[in-house]
Amino acid sequence: MTAVADLPVYDSSQPRTPLVTELQNFWRYRRLIRLLVARDLTTRYKRSVLGVWWTLLNPLLTAAVMYLVFGVAIGGRFGETDEPYVVYLLAGVLFMVFFGQGMLSTASSIAGAKAILSKVYVPAEVFAFATAVAALANFGFSLFPLLLAQLLTGIGVPWTAVFVVVPVLAMLALVIGSGMMIAAAAVYFYDVLDLTRVFVQLLQYLTPVFYPLSFIPAEWLGLYKTNPLFSYLDNFRNVMYRGEFGPAWQWWYMVITAVLVLMIGVWAFSKSWRTLAMQL
Amino acid sequence: MTTAESQPLIEVDNVSLAYTLNRDRAGTVKEFAFQLLKRQITAEKFLAVDDVSFRVNRGETVAMIGRNGAGKTTIMKVVARVLPPTDGRVVVRGVVAPMIALGAGFNNELNAIENIVLFGTLLGRDPDDMLDRAHDIGEWAELTDFMDVPIRSYSSGMMARLGFAVAADVDPDVMVVDEVLSVGDESFQRKSFEKMQSLMAGGTAVLLVSHVLDKVLEVADRVIWLQKGRIQMEGDPEEVVEAYRESFG
Repeated sequence: MTAVADLPVYDSSQPRTPLVTELQNFWRYRRLIRLLVARDLTTRYKRSVLGVWWTLLNPLLTAAVMYLVFGVAIGGRFGETDEPYVVYLLAGVLFMVFFGQGMLSTASSIAGAKAILSKVYVPAEVFAFATAVAALANFGFSLFPLLLAQLLTGIGVPWTAVFVVVPVLAMLALVIGSGMMIAAAAVYFYDVLDLTRVFVQLLQYLTPVFYPLSFIPAEWLGLYKTNPLFSYLDNFRNVMYRGEFGPAWQWWYMVITAVLVLMIGVWAFSKSWRTLAMQL
Repeated sequence: MTTAESQPLIEVDNVSLAYTLNRDRAGTVKEFAFQLLKRQITAEKFLAVDDVSFRVNRGETVAMIGRNGAGKTTIMKVVARVLPPTDGRVVVRGVVAPMIALGAGFNNELNAIENIVLFGTLLGRDPDDMLDRAHDIGEWAELTDFMDVPIRSYSSGMMARLGFAVAADVDPDVMVVDEVLSVGDESFQRKSFEKMQSLMAGGTAVLLVSHVLDKVLEVADRVIWLQKGRIQMEGDPEEVVEAYRESFG
C-alpha cells in the first residue's frame, strides 16, 4: 500500500495558471491525446463505405468541383496563375480546409465531449488539442495528392518544400488558439458555431484560394493582404512548389499572429474554465 | 500511525456550490443580444450545496442519503473533480475512480476492447496496460462473447457492467459511486459488491450515494443525510437511516 503522503493530490484551492496549466496537462495527458487522435482518424468515417479514404477524397472532390467550375466552365482569367491551375487550386483548398475544418472541429470538441467531461475528470483542453492534432494529421495525408499533382504537372518538388513545416505549424497554432476561444463560447451559445462557419467561409473568399491574386485591383492589394490568412497561404505555396520564400514580412506576420492567437485563445479558455465546467 | 497515514483521502471543507439559474437562459447569441437590449438578463443563484464539510478516511465507506435534489450528486461531482466548488476547499488524495453514470466515457462506435482502452486511459492508465488487461476485464464483466461488437449494440446493463469492471480495475484509492450497487442482475450485483468490499479491505475510500437504504446499512461505516444542500445529520448508519426514515412521517 502506498503511503498517503506519496499519493497524487487534487486540491481545489490550488490556482490555475493560464498557459502553464494547459501545457502541463498536454504533457501529462499525452497518451490520452495520442489515443484520441488515433480514434478521431479511424472512427470518423468508420461507418461509411469508403472508410478512411474519405479523409483524402473529401478535399480532393472539393478541389475537383472547383476546378471544373472555375478552371474549365468559367475558364479564362481564373487560370491566369503563374503555375498550373490544378496545383494552385489544390494547395489552396487543402490548406484552407485544414484551417476551416480544423478550427470548427476544435471549437465543437468540448461540447462534443460533454458526456465524458461531466462525469470523469479530464482537462477539457486535452480534447481541443487532440482534435486539432487530428486535423493536422488529416492535412498531412492530403499532402500526398498535392505532391503527386506537382510531379505530374512537371513542377516537381523544390528543396524549399522542407520548410512547409513552418506555415503548417503556424496554422496549427492558429487552429488551436481560435478553436479554443470559440469552444469556450460555444458551451454558452450553441449558435456560435454557425456564426463561425459563416465567418470561415467569408475568410476563405477573402483569401486567394481559387482565384489568382491578379483579380484584386492594385489599389486594394495593401488592404487585402492585411488578412493574415493570405500570408499563411502564400508562404505555404511559395515553399511548397514555387521554390522561393517570398517577402520576409509575410513570415513575420504569420508567426506573430499565430503565437498571439494561440496565447489569447488558451488564456481565454483557461479564464473561463470554472464557468465552463458549470455549464457542461 | 504517522501523521501522514492519518490524513483522510477525501477532505471536504465548508464547500458550497452555486449554480447560475437563468430563468430564460439565452441559448444563442441572438437571444442573448435581444435580452441584453431589453435588459432582461437575470442571473439567479441556486445553492445546490451549502457549507458542507466531511472527511472520508482510508478503507472507510461513507454513504450519502437524502431526497432528490438534496445535493448528493453535486457533492460527488465536486469530489470527482468534475465541478469546481464555488466556496470552500476539496482535497482528494490518490487515484479516483468515478462511478457516476457508468459507461459515460464510452464511444458507441468503438468495440468493447477499444472502449476499455479509451476509458482506462481517461482514468489515467497506460493504454498498453489496458490493452493487456482488456481480456480479463471483459471476462469479469461476463462479456467475453461481445468484445468485438460496437458498444452501440450493447444493452444498458451490459454497458454498466463494462463501466464498473474498467473503473474497478484501475485499483483506485478513492471510489465515488453513484447508485451502482444496482448494476446488472442479482448475480452481478453480488459480484460487484464483493469487488467493492475487496477494494475497501485494500484501503480504498468509498463515497457512495444510494436510495436503497438496506444496501446503505449493509455497506456504510458512516452515513451523511443531506437536505437541501446541507448536512442534516451525520454518524452511525442505523441512527441516521432511522432518523431519515422517520422524517417521512
